[in-house]
Amino acid sequence: MITINEITIIRDGRRIIQDFSEQIPAGSITVILGPNGCGKSTLLAAIAGDIAPDKGTITIDDIHPILSAPLELSRLRAVAIQNQSFTLGFTVRQIIEMAGMADEVLKSLALTKISERIVTSLSGGESQRVSLAQAIAQNTPVLLLDEPLSAQDQASKARIIKVLQKRAEQGATVVVVAHSGESDLTWADKVIKQFL
Amino acid sequence: MKKTAPFLALIICLLLALSVGATQIDSFWSALLHPGSNAILWEIRLPRVIAAVIIGAALGIAGLLAQGACNNALAEPAILGTTAGATLGAVVGILIGLAQVGSVGAIICGVVGALLTTAMTFKLAALRLELSSFALIIVGIAVSAVISSLAAILSLIANRADARSISFWSFGSLALVTKENLIGITITTIAGLLIAYTIAPSLDRLSLGDSTAFHLGVDPRRLRLIALVALSLLSGGAVSTVGTIAFIGLAAPHIARFIYGPSHRLLIGQSAVIGSLIVLIADTFARTVFAPNELPIGLATSLLGAPILIALVSLRSNLWKTQ
Repeated sequence: MITINEITIIRDGRRIIQDFSEQIPAGSITVILGPNGCGKSTLLAAIAGDIAPDKGTITIDDIHPILSAPLELSRLRAVAIQNQSFTLGFTVRQIIEMAGMADEVLKSLALTKISERIVTSLSGGESQRVSLAQAIAQNTPVLLLDEPLSAQDQASKARIIKVLQKRAEQGATVVVVAHSGESDLTWADKVIKQFL
Repeated sequence: MKKTAPFLALIICLLLALSVGATQIDSFWSALLHPGSNAILWEIRLPRVIAAVIIGAALGIAGLLAQGACNNALAEPAILGTTAGATLGAVVGILIGLAQVGSVGAIICGVVGALLTTAMTFKLAALRLELSSFALIIVGIAVSAVISSLAAILSLIANRADARSISFWSFGSLALVTKENLIGITITTIAGLLIAYTIAPSLDRLSLGDSTAFHLGVDPRRLRLIALVALSLLSGGAVSTVGTIAFIGLAAPHIARFIYGPSHRLLIGQSAVIGSLIVLIADTFARTVFAPNELPIGLATSLLGAPILIALVSLRSNLWKTQ
């Protein structure tokens, strides 16, 4: 369970999130929905422990992410950022193995065929799936994903949603940031739209 | 075979380097098998050849750490100010009488100078904005220029009998290395290597960017600090013993990456062996081509390393993808 309690986040003098409270239940998929620049990625970063709210608190199962050590935090939550870049020529498998076991994740996201490809040569959609696969391989109780479907075709979207639903059924708290243009959200258990 | 080839090449080059020089050694193999039987071989050439191997390894690993910690293909100890800091530290130590050229005291002064200067580069690069590899490189070049100038001015104004040897050392040469010098440089190199081996998996994760590395459990700031200490031990030890040797820190990790891929744990050993190989060949060239006169070794390492690096980049352009 993620508990967001009266948080306000100010960036460059702009109030991005104000007095926002929410509870995100475990064992479900929650979508944070909104247009570009509305602060949804900022909210995800605050939940992940990347940035501290200017006011209020966020807890994951009574643990404050912002006060936790990086290693402890990496066992609690996994994050797939938007536009992950790769500079060195690791293979897809090596990238996933930096987080955990690769075989099952490669198979579930249809990445087995490209598992030995060098990540610097991947397309945007493939890179996005590799980033997602790495987060899933981390095998944490909380999964935070920033627009994981934006560069995917319908078949890949369906495959990713199936994997996320399976993780939620296993008890994980799955939080997905999606652009407001995302039309079909029937797979989400909860949608958060308003946080300013 | 791919993994052992550079190591085998190093063994062959090591024997060749021992066998050639300004003075011909009679019955080379016999002299090699009987310790102490030939003074030139055992007292002059062997310490120098071993120093070349250790210095090359230290600079190769230092370059790998610099590139990994900055997540930038251009990073190397000379660009981050580490080399200049080590030079200034050693020069100050020698001039105020704390140490002599190549001594353990000079190594300590060099390591301290390297550590302080590299820390200054990191601090200045993060002064106004979040630390970026671009800021590190730009600030590092500037810091390096200032510190190098200070070291050069101090060397020039020093009115001392050993001013010539300070000047000779600062341009890079293994000519002054003795058996006694090997102890300090061996200690700093092993310490740097062990630290590098420990943090190698975290450097792999750091290549995905600070944010993703943090999500995977790495503290980027702490990791850079540890890398900075190792980098200073490796570069400080090498520079204070033999002066500035150009190009190894840049070329050796890239050559190793081209052959063995990006995994830092594998690259530590291979960057070390390739660094050793380049320094050994360059030093042998520098001391034999115009014997009995010697070339500064930095000229030879650049002549040797640069064409290899250019050839590798033209063969494979995706060694390091810039965003």
